Amino acid sequence: MAEYTKPIPSPDPVSQPFWDGAKEGKLMLPRCSDCNRVHWYPRVICPFCHSMNIEWVEATGKGTIHTFAVQHNKGLVARGWGDEVPYVSAYIDLAEGDRMLTVLKGVDPNDPESIEIGGAVQIEFEEASEDVHIPFWRPV
Amino acid sequence: MPGEASKAAAIVGAAEANDIGYPQTPKSSLTLHIEAIKNVTDMTGIPISAIDGIFSAGWSPQVAEYLGLHPKYIDTTAVGGCSFEMHVHHALAAIHAGVIDVALVTHGEMGFSQRFTGGKGTGRPFGGGDPWDPGTQHTSAYGLGGAPTAYSHALNRHMSRYGTTQEDFAEIAVVTREWATLNPRAVMYRKAGEGDLAPLEKGEWGGGKRGHTFGGPITVDTVMNSRPISWPIKLLDVCLVTDHGGAVLITGPELAKTSKTPPVWIAGAGENMSHWNMLEMGDFTATSAGRSAAAAYKMAGMGPEDMEMAMIYDSFTVTAGITAEMLGLAPAGEGPSLWKDRHAAPGGRLPINTNGGGLSFNHSGMYGMQLLVEAYRQLSGTAEDGGFSGDPGKQTSARSCVVNGTGGSLSTTGTLVLVSDD
Repeated sequence: MAEYTKPIPSPDPVSQPFWDGAKEGKLMLPRCSDCNRVHWYPRVICPFCHSMNIEWVEATGKGTIHTFAVQHNKGLVARGWGDEVPYVSAYIDLAEGDRMLTVLKGVDPNDPESIEIGGAVQIEFEEASEDVHIPFWRPV
Repeated sequence: MPGEASKAAAIVGAAEANDIGYPQTPKSSLTLHIEAIKNVTDMTGIPISAIDGIFSAGWSPQVAEYLGLHPKYIDTTAVGGCSFEMHVHHALAAIHAGVIDVALVTHGEMGFSQRFTGGKGTGRPFGGGDPWDPGTQHTSAYGLGGAPTAYSHALNRHMSRYGTTQEDFAEIAVVTREWATLNPRAVMYRKAGEGDLAPLEKGEWGGGKRGHTFGGPITVDTVMNSRPISWPIKLLDVCLVTDHGGAVLITGPELAKTSKTPPVWIAGAGENMSHWNMLEMGDFTATSAGRSAAAAYKMAGMGPEDMEMAMIYDSFTVTAGITAEMLGLAPAGEGPSLWKDRHAAPGGRLPINTNGGGLSFNHSGMYGMQLLVEAYRQLSGTAEDGGFSGDPGKQTSARSCVVNGTGGSLSTTGTLVLVSDD
């Protein structure tokens, strides 16, 4: 595996089930057992009803593009991403609810008009380290 | 005699996090906050959702975001271990003033466990740097950094939702530059080579290459042809980065009479937040200015129709455009039309950003003070430049102004309604 040179997230005790799922190629999401709503980012308390009964469920990995931007400026993006400009960042509405930030794969950053807000996307995971597989999304 | 605020508020419950001392498994500072908050709300029976004021030593926006709260009073005073006693003082004042009903003072600090986590999870005031901070953990992999890399997502969503265009938002930059050409103190006052040169241009600092080599009037084409920063945001959609300092003095009515310069009255004030990390922004075409302005207008007994000018934080053209909608100055989706139709321009019915804005006057990183200084200058008639309106010392004849600052990633807002002295 080529060395991964971009930022690698640090799992914490609250989010560990998500990262465990990612290693197996599964999108695990936190869901409140009281109001049944999924939230993102992971929390110890439901941000909607403030219950602390949170369970983890496997999601479909399907979503739609809520909005996106094309990052052109090396100096403004994080270390490691400068060599990849232009690239397309996007917020994804998850099929199960709530929203994730990502970088879109399989799109042309030089033709933003070809990328569709509302368009369907599917998750995939990239092995950044043995413990951390990072989710990315790609139009279907 | 007790003071007027004496017994205006009381502490009604107090609790701790579950795992304190030397816990077996480290919990982040944020988790310690949340456990204590859950416990104190369970104890009192006052639900978390009733909290409308949040006070902490630097943690307030993260804790409020984590709980999905939109507090009306946000205090992060962090001056050491005595901060919490000061928070109680500030909460007393806020409740006495009728601004909030339920104040949460909260603390979480993994003083011991951080030895075993390499410092992860301790958090920092204003967040963003802690690898365990959930907003950081779940966004840092994607490289977003400087503010333009985030705000561009809001601009694209606005265009998609309302059918607005990049050209519409470019009009904001064009008109704001026009104001700057009336203000000799504005960085973009005149073109390079015309009249006095700024030290930067003369090469005295930074070799001249970093100076404002493109001041003076611009057109929509100039904006559209400026280089892409974070599509659809281009260079001239972005504010300046300059040095700036400012200060204001505030007194009661009696002391105000002793000032050599006229008072500008704080008729209304409000604040709110929708999120801290843009990941948690629900509606990318709206900010909490809708709520902070509603509070300010209500306090003032005035509405957007009573505003004769506006000072709107313009870190980006999209910030100004969306905020104009939130302040009720334009219908949803039509904010940029205030500039495009020249209502916001010199001589227009609703002058906006008369100093030349963060886009063309000055923007030091946190522009809110510059908004206050200019609002005072215009409403008090102490502006030393131009007098475009025909009144000496005023670019406009306005006697009322709505001022709105925006912080974070379209995250936090503070709104003031200011009026001239009678």
